[in-house]
Amino acid sequence: MPTRIVSHFKTNIYDYLEALPKTTLEKLYEEPATCLAIFRLLPSIARQLVMSLLFDKEGISKNDLIKWIKNDKESLDKFDEAFDKLTKLQMIEQNEKLTLNESFRYSFQDCLTGCGSRQSFGIPLEKHKSKPLDISLLDQYAIEKWENILHFMVGTEKSNVPSASVLEVVTKANLMRDIGGGKYEITNKGFQFLLQDVNTQVWAILIQYLDIAGVMLNMNVVEVLNFFFMLGSLELGQDYSVEGLTPTQRQLLDDLENYGLAYRRKKGSTRYYPTRLATTLTSGNAATVSSNVNIDNTDAGEDSATEQGFIIIETNYKLYAYTKSQLQISVLNLFSELQFRFSNMVTATITRDSVRNALKKGITAQQIISYLTAHSHPQMKKRPSLLPSTVKDQIQLWEMERNRLVVQECYLYKDFKTWSDYEMILKHATKLGVVVWSNESKKMFGVTEAGHEHVRAFIKKKMAQRKSNGTGGNDNFMGNGVNRSTPIGYGDSSNSGTPAR
Amino acid sequence: MSSIKDSVTVNEDDANLLVLIIDTNQMNWTKVANKQAMGNCLTLQQILRQLLAFINAHLALKHDNEVAVIASHIGVSKFLYPIPTTRQKTRRSHGDSDQSSNSNMYQRFRVIDDQVTSNMKALFENEALKSCPDKVSSMMAGALSLALCYINRITKSDEIGHIKSRILIISVSPDSPYQYISIMNCIFSAQKLGIPIDVCKISESDNSVFLQQASHITGGRYLRLSIDQSRGFLHFLMKTFLPDRFVRRHLCLPGDEKVDFGAACFCHKKTINIGYVCSVCLSIYCQQLEECSTCRSKVTNGVKRSKTNESL
Repeated sequence: MPTRIVSHFKTNIYDYLEALPKTTLEKLYEEPATCLAIFRLLPSIARQLVMSLLFDKEGISKNDLIKWIKNDKESLDKFDEAFDKLTKLQMIEQNEKLTLNESFRYSFQDCLTGCGSRQSFGIPLEKHKSKPLDISLLDQYAIEKWENILHFMVGTEKSNVPSASVLEVVTKANLMRDIGGGKYEITNKGFQFLLQDVNTQVWAILIQYLDIAGVMLNMNVVEVLNFFFMLGSLELGQDYSVEGLTPTQRQLLDDLENYGLAYRRKKGSTRYYPTRLATTLTSGNAATVSSNVNIDNTDAGEDSATEQGFIIIETNYKLYAYTKSQLQISVLNLFSELQFRFSNMVTATITRDSVRNALKKGITAQQIISYLTAHSHPQMKKRPSLLPSTVKDQIQLWEMERNRLVVQECYLYKDFKTWSDYEMILKHATKLGVVVWSNESKKMFGVTEAGHEHVRAFIKKKMAQRKSNGTGGNDNFMGNGVNRSTPIGYGDSSNSGTPAR
Repeated sequence: MSSIKDSVTVNEDDANLLVLIIDTNQMNWTKVANKQAMGNCLTLQQILRQLLAFINAHLALKHDNEVAVIASHIGVSKFLYPIPTTRQKTRRSHGDSDQSSNSNMYQRFRVIDDQVTSNMKALFENEALKSCPDKVSSMMAGALSLALCYINRITKSDEIGHIKSRILIISVSPDSPYQYISIMNCIFSAQKLGIPIDVCKISESDNSVFLQQASHITGGRYLRLSIDQSRGFLHFLMKTFLPDRFVRRHLCLPGDEKVDFGAACFCHKKTINIGYVCSVCLSIYCQQLEECSTCRSKVTNGVKRSKTNESL
């Protein structure tokens, strides 16, 4: 499958940052807000390492640092992982001693102590005296804009075609395909995208936007990223001034309005308001999950508990979803069979066929499970294990079912004249690590394509040796030689050797 | 995703609540300041500045990390953050007016820092507290109880058991034997709730016997900083007390291993190493008694003399 599955926004943004050149990262680290956001993406040991090095000018040697870690395998592994990430992000500099990257160290110190003059946490303005902005209005705006994109992807009737820049990003991200005539079709990756939580979705889009921004819109990637991270550090419901934003960032603000990340009363206004989608960018998913539900539910008095989750699953694979949202129902339809629809809920069953349909679209069992977990009803959360384990296991089993057979191209060696010849060559091939399958009673074995050359050369060498030694007239190892293009199907490790099905 | 209610297991993505108890006894801080050579004066003000950076560091670790700050003052203990909502609101609106001046700091950091400093100021300006008879000891027991109650409330309101708490005490004052029993009670409650108590004692020579036991029993860290060392106070804090309960499983943290199990007697509140223990209720006395004053049991041959070191 060509598409990479990203299950969490952290991996998403992290991979992007890791690929950036050193100079770009250096520039990014000049902004305290960016430092804070990137810092929070790190694994917890790495965060502690950064903190312990933060106020240390001289630095310490790696050996001394390791002494801080407990001497067991798990801890050391975690340390290595953390250290690796820090090095890749250019946060740690390793000369004779370990130190933090200088600009990161200064900015992050500023961030914690409140010194400096970068104004990287946005310029707040006093609340609009006459008509202060309501947070619920902001939420509604954000949800409307964002879900409009999702609706468009699913192709529900009520969707309007999003703006051109949104369309471009969506097609670039391979979530949708242009099928001509101004029509678009959702791709496999798009289906996976729908199952992810909002935060991951937003980041996936933003990163795609970054790619386009750098190449086509001639924007400075550093400025764009800084703006994203700053948005993540702002307060919801606070007015912010566009003063202090670079021209690039102002242009960016226009685009972000299209995604529902920022709100302005009218175009060109000097005030902007970050929405919940923006303020939770760097903090995780908890807050935004709720916004995804019940788009049609504009009643202000809606119980907050029902907004957090709406799916109940029973051990008999029956699923009850308390939602009116066309979008959520379409998503559910991806992996379950809908049965009844009422005014405030739908019932569905999860069956082997419905899950297999989803798997065929490239959705993984893990994605289905995490979707169900993230959207489960508060009532479900009271149980010791969130999802019924039968359902969870079965979905995974259905996925494994599809992976029982692995096809690998290989060369088959057969018809050895003697047992010792077979054994000798097999032994050599095993040493090279190229044996795919072997059978003693049939005196056959298969090697990978890459290993074929080596094994053949080995046999030729042995034959030449034997000839020069003149031992016996039989100078052939095999009657029939090598049989190419025999793909061997073999099962996974559990039943190696016997082709399944 | 783990949302199983369980007080023992600690997960990587748990939120952490840090309750910081600061000893704000100015008498003892002055003492500490006087002991130092001129030029590197360690005052409460400086410590506070470094503590605020530490609080920010704690909040920076995770977006859902929480903090509470309690002052253990002379004769009284008070919340510095968070303060009850009614007052918080007035302060908020008050703070709004000068908000535009600072966009160099993360909003959340600033709100907390401002509140802690202004409440600390208010605490010192409060005349009524100055007339307290006992000028040497801080209300450590009171502050600990406040902390435990607060943690209990937060934990109860968090249905999915996502919040893991710990307590950090910054102490300069010597032990007050009068508070022995209440402190011990707090320690055992903390142990029962599974809350580690970390202690950072700033003192030239003496260890705090009670607080040492507190961290030992609850599985926290105890660290004594001599006054010279406390110049790098923030660095010590970062290395020893910043790691949350999950990360601690993978780190070797500094701290004293040897613990003095000394106790204070129930009759005269003296700190003793050898004393008399009631065989019924295990109350400790420094002298022989006819009748245990705690449980009223008659002790015919006097309470047997034994080492409290072993009895505890």
